[in-house]
Amino acid sequence: MPPANTELGRFHRLFQRWARHVRLRLAARALLTGLAVGFAVAGVVAAALWWQRLGTLRPAAAALGAVGVLVALLIATRRRMTDTDVALYLDARLESKEAISTALELGSEDDAGAVVLGDAVHALDKGDRKRARPRVLRALHALTPVGIGAVIYLSVIPLPPGPAAAPAAPGSSRVQLANLQGLEKIERLENLDARDAEQRERLKQIAEEAKRLREELAKGMEKREAQSKIAKLRDDVAAERLKLGDQKNRAGLEAAVGKLAENKSTKDAAKALGDGDLVEFDKKMQELANKAEKADREAAKQALDEAQKAAREKGAKELAQALEEQKKLFEKREAKAEALRELARGMKGKLSEEALKDLEEFGQSGSPEAQKRLAESLEKALGGMTEEERKRLAERLQKQMEQQPGGAAPMTKEQIDDMAKRLGTPEGQKALEEQLKDLAKPDASKESERDKGLGDAERGGAEAERGRGGVAPGPALGSEGGQPGGAPGNKGDKGNKGDKADGAGGPGSKKDFGTGDHKGNTAKLDAKGLRSKATGKMNAGAPMQGSTMGRAPSRPGETANQAGTGALGQAGPSELGGVEGAEVPEEYREQVGRYFQP
Amino acid sequence: MTQSNFEARLAQAREASTRLREAIATVIVGQNAVVDQVLWALIAGGHVLLEGAPGLGKTLLVRTLASSLELKFSRIQFTPDLMPSDVTGTNVLVMDATGGATGRFELHRGPIFGQVILADEINRATPKTQSSLLEAMQEHAVTIAGIRHVLDQPFFVLATENPIEMEGTYPLPEAQLDRFLLKVMVPNPSEDEMTAILARTTGHAVEAPKSVLHRDDVMALRALCRDIAVAEPVLRYAARLIAASVPDSPTAPELVRRGLRYGAGVRGGQSLVLASKSLALLEGRAQVAFTDIQRVALPVLRHRMIRSFEGEADGVTTDQVIEELCRVVPTRPGAVEQVVQGSR
Repeated sequence: MPPANTELGRFHRLFQRWARHVRLRLAARALLTGLAVGFAVAGVVAAALWWQRLGTLRPAAAALGAVGVLVALLIATRRRMTDTDVALYLDARLESKEAISTALELGSEDDAGAVVLGDAVHALDKGDRKRARPRVLRALHALTPVGIGAVIYLSVIPLPPGPAAAPAAPGSSRVQLANLQGLEKIERLENLDARDAEQRERLKQIAEEAKRLREELAKGMEKREAQSKIAKLRDDVAAERLKLGDQKNRAGLEAAVGKLAENKSTKDAAKALGDGDLVEFDKKMQELANKAEKADREAAKQALDEAQKAAREKGAKELAQALEEQKKLFEKREAKAEALRELARGMKGKLSEEALKDLEEFGQSGSPEAQKRLAESLEKALGGMTEEERKRLAERLQKQMEQQPGGAAPMTKEQIDDMAKRLGTPEGQKALEEQLKDLAKPDASKESERDKGLGDAERGGAEAERGRGGVAPGPALGSEGGQPGGAPGNKGDKGNKGDKADGAGGPGSKKDFGTGDHKGNTAKLDAKGLRSKATGKMNAGAPMQGSTMGRAPSRPGETANQAGTGALGQAGPSELGGVEGAEVPEEYREQVGRYFQP
Repeated sequence: MTQSNFEARLAQAREASTRLREAIATVIVGQNAVVDQVLWALIAGGHVLLEGAPGLGKTLLVRTLASSLELKFSRIQFTPDLMPSDVTGTNVLVMDATGGATGRFELHRGPIFGQVILADEINRATPKTQSSLLEAMQEHAVTIAGIRHVLDQPFFVLATENPIEMEGTYPLPEAQLDRFLLKVMVPNPSEDEMTAILARTTGHAVEAPKSVLHRDDVMALRALCRDIAVAEPVLRYAARLIAASVPDSPTAPELVRRGLRYGAGVRGGQSLVLASKSLALLEGRAQVAFTDIQRVALPVLRHRMIRSFEGEADGVTTDQVIEELCRVVPTRPGAVEQVVQGSR
């Protein structure tokens, strides 16, 4: 600093005073700007906190004002104006033509310097302070009261209402049921006569699952969970039902069906077996066994034998076992039918006309209904016989036996002898009546019983599913359920009984009995025909072909718009592979099905 | 406060310049700006190129100035056949009384050996003749037959050129143009000025003004001009202006990039500061201000820039470029400028 008594010293003294003044005002302006920005940010933050319903933090936003001041202080210190900057500023404001800037650089009072110093000192000394001082307040500073007001206001007002709770996921509601109808049918599978130990174990597991589900439902569980478990049970039952046609037994089944189809008399039975309808198959075999013509029966036995061998060769042990059992049952049924016929022949003179017709029908069709009616007629006729007539009947039966050496007698010679002797006594007569009742009752195969049991369980599953609000798919084609949902042509289809199409088949199939030709011509339809169709019996419960109602068990050969033929032998290999060989895990399919339920 | 020596000299300089202006004004009507610019150059020790249409009083101005200064005046009328020796002078064989050769050569000095030189219509001579002025203007000396002859001080060249006489003219080379401190555009007189000119020049001949400044006065003014102080921020501003006039410079504005091929150089910067000092002196200040730089920028820089083809095609003038530079280049550092603007 030059001596104070010189012009240079005076200039520096004056300049430093000005510089201090200018810098202080600039610092004050920076602080106020920081404060304004800080409170503006604080207002925004308080608004955000209010919006986020963080009520207690709202007043704390005011601290941002202090942060703004600190930041501004830091910036003001770093950007502090140098002496040269202040001199330039003062030159601009005091219009001193850069005299102050020039004087600041002077080290001595030489000729020109003295003049410059004089000008600079004059400018600083006489300069208008008001005009030269930097303005402290700016429009931006108005944000300070606005920000403070905003913080206070936002800290006082009540918080906004919270967002509405998200709706519960579909099916996540809890259900509690003491007794879900239908599950008991699945639970009964435990007592079903199983084909083998493995099946027994599987059926036991299904039944236990059903029991567990019943317990869980009694305690309460998620609806979707319950639906999922019911669907799983249904899938398990359906899989069990179709076991003879599964991947392992398929080749054997095809071979067996082929062998049975070769024989004219067992063609229908072959179809039923192919459909997996073991009840129908059993019925057809019963009819064959009841037939009077021995050749027919022999041919049927021969076909059964060949089918069994073919199934065994193809590795379908379970099917072969079932056919073996069917063969044995066939022989038993044959003997029963023969005994009935023998008895009828012995009582020929005593039989009514109706009974004779039944005898004839029984011999021709082998229908179990005719068998039942014949047995009842015989029982009635036996009741009306005198003692003498009974003796004659016994003699006649004995004679018949003698005339018929060997052969496939339904009763042994001793048995007939015994029966002839007993006919003479009331006890014997009573025993014969009981025997006739037994003959009237058709023998069902174990497979048939098993299939019935599984069918019951399947329907039970559907019932349970409906009970839980799900839309159960109809039973599989060929089932004997008679429930709504059975496909046209199967037994479940109670409507349209007179329909020519006795099996499945859609437009273009061999079952399509349309009136048009392949050239695109259609015969003229008369109004009467149309009217008859319009008033045709409707089955409201039966879904349209190809319609998807929840999960529908797939059938071989079935597509979206064409029902499967039901016969494995008629389905293409790729179709079979597509159904059975699907790599999609069953659990996943079940999950998807559950979520796609309406 | 007693008046310092420098302050007294400043006052004398102002008084001298006032006298000079008044003397010129007795002959020249109006053209105050032109007279001022010529005085800047005289005091700064530079040369002036006057450009204007014929009949605007360029030559008269120079003659009047020469008369007012009591300096040796020479006039060179530049024509296409003018030779360099016609300007500088030459050695001639000395003859005796009988007309015989004495065997001795004597230097016949050309018109360049004056103090106020009027190079009239300089762009009509060939570049070779024009360049004969280079050494004299830059070094204030002439070399003839290998002998260097120092010219008398002050040495002040005032050249005129007619912009419209394109036929038979030769544009001045850039090196030659750069030697001129200022290029002064002589405008057409206003109606009042024209009226006064007509009244004054159509009566009896007006006497040439008496000399009001002597050689020593001019030299003292020139010395005083060099003593004028310039603050570093002002010098930096001059440097920024010059830098921004170069098209390749990152600070060059778009108009410079588009309209110029070459910008001003170091000599332009020197001229800018010198002319500013001269202006400050004439205004009685001992320091240069930013405004001085801006005021002298046009005459100092306009002949130091070469337009690009695109600039010529677009009709961009160097005056436009300089005005743009003065507008765009900040005088003070950004932070200071913000405070200056913010407190208004």
